[in-house]
Amino acid sequence: MSRFAVFALALALVATACSSSSPVSVDGIDPPAPITGTEMQTLLSESTEPIVLNVWASWCTPCRSEAPLLGKAATEFDEGVRFVGLDVRDTPNNAVAFIAEFYADAPIEHYADDSGAIPIDLGGTRGVPITFFYRPGGELSYVHIGVIDERTLVLQIDELVHG
Amino acid sequence: MEFTLLGAAAIAAGATYLMLWWEARHGNAARCTGNVWEIGVVSAVAGIFIGRLVAMLVDGVNPIAHPADVILVRSGISTAGAALGAGALFFWQARKEPVAMADGISAAALAGLSGWAAGCLVRGTCLGTVTDLPWGMAQAGSTVSRHPVGLYAAILFAVAAIALAAWKAYRRPPAGVPASAAVVAASTVRLLTEPFQPSLSGGPVWFYTVALIIGFTGVFWFAWIGPRRSV
Repeated sequence: MSRFAVFALALALVATACSSSSPVSVDGIDPPAPITGTEMQTLLSESTEPIVLNVWASWCTPCRSEAPLLGKAATEFDEGVRFVGLDVRDTPNNAVAFIAEFYADAPIEHYADDSGAIPIDLGGTRGVPITFFYRPGGELSYVHIGVIDERTLVLQIDELVHG
Repeated sequence: MEFTLLGAAAIAAGATYLMLWWEARHGNAARCTGNVWEIGVVSAVAGIFIGRLVAMLVDGVNPIAHPADVILVRSGISTAGAALGAGALFFWQARKEPVAMADGISAAALAGLSGWAAGCLVRGTCLGTVTDLPWGMAQAGSTVSRHPVGLYAAILFAVAAIALAAWKAYRRPPAGVPASAAVVAASTVRLLTEPFQPSLSGGPVWFYTVALIIGFTGVFWFAWIGPRRSV
């Protein structure tokens, strides 16, 4: 039993050392700006660049899981593709902490939708995460419901670029 | 894990089992077919788990603070972590006769990789980079023609698996050579298909290159230097 306790303690220490659990800095990160459904439609239709719209929430475990990938993709495709995050049914403090943890350096515009109605209006579901892919002018190219994987994300971005 | 991933995993498991069944009927690895299947399945599941943990640590996510993330394998699995983890567990389980067991699973592992790659049809992830070639395929609602890279990988893995199984059954190569040849085949297929895959990082080419070198070294060692025993 004591051997198990020592092993568990050692495992916890190693995992803590490898983790990103250091205090999160929120300096310079504002809470996502509230947005209405009409404003979101306008943002999509007036964009001259393709848009990847990711619906997330800080309380959503799968969103946490896919966030590092989206952050990397936003940085990689900074030229030519616009990344927009839509935080739903969340609190500003938790949203800021989430952005600071995953998207601090990623070129992603974040908006907040307290009611969570916008993704449904756009053709998604109430559940998160959802990722929408829009051509310039707001034409929907693809919707991915659930955690998105690297191949699907890159393929759909490539479709936006080539389509 | 989503159902499409489970579907692809089921195809991979089915292809692995089918190859072991065929090999057992052709006097190849018959005495250890059951053991190889059990050890292989345990190693594969453990490899997925280890690969997911490695991917989380690389992304800076603490698995202990966020244990639920571990089951979200769609978010990413480290190929190197999964392969090394599965390999380590396989050899630990097969420590009494590691070379014979590795030879026993070599063709079946390639068949399993073929099944996993063919599972792209279930997962909807067969398409790769843009092409003008006549066999290019487009996704629904698109006019952009793409390499069906998942099917390329499935076909190449299947050809390698069948060739290796036939070689083992009818030519009886020296012990250790089939397993090493399987590593060469798997890494070669990955190196050939990776340039056509949609990817942010270009894939773990370094890992496949290292595996290719290790595989060739194994073939050379077991065929010409090490103890010469038939499979």
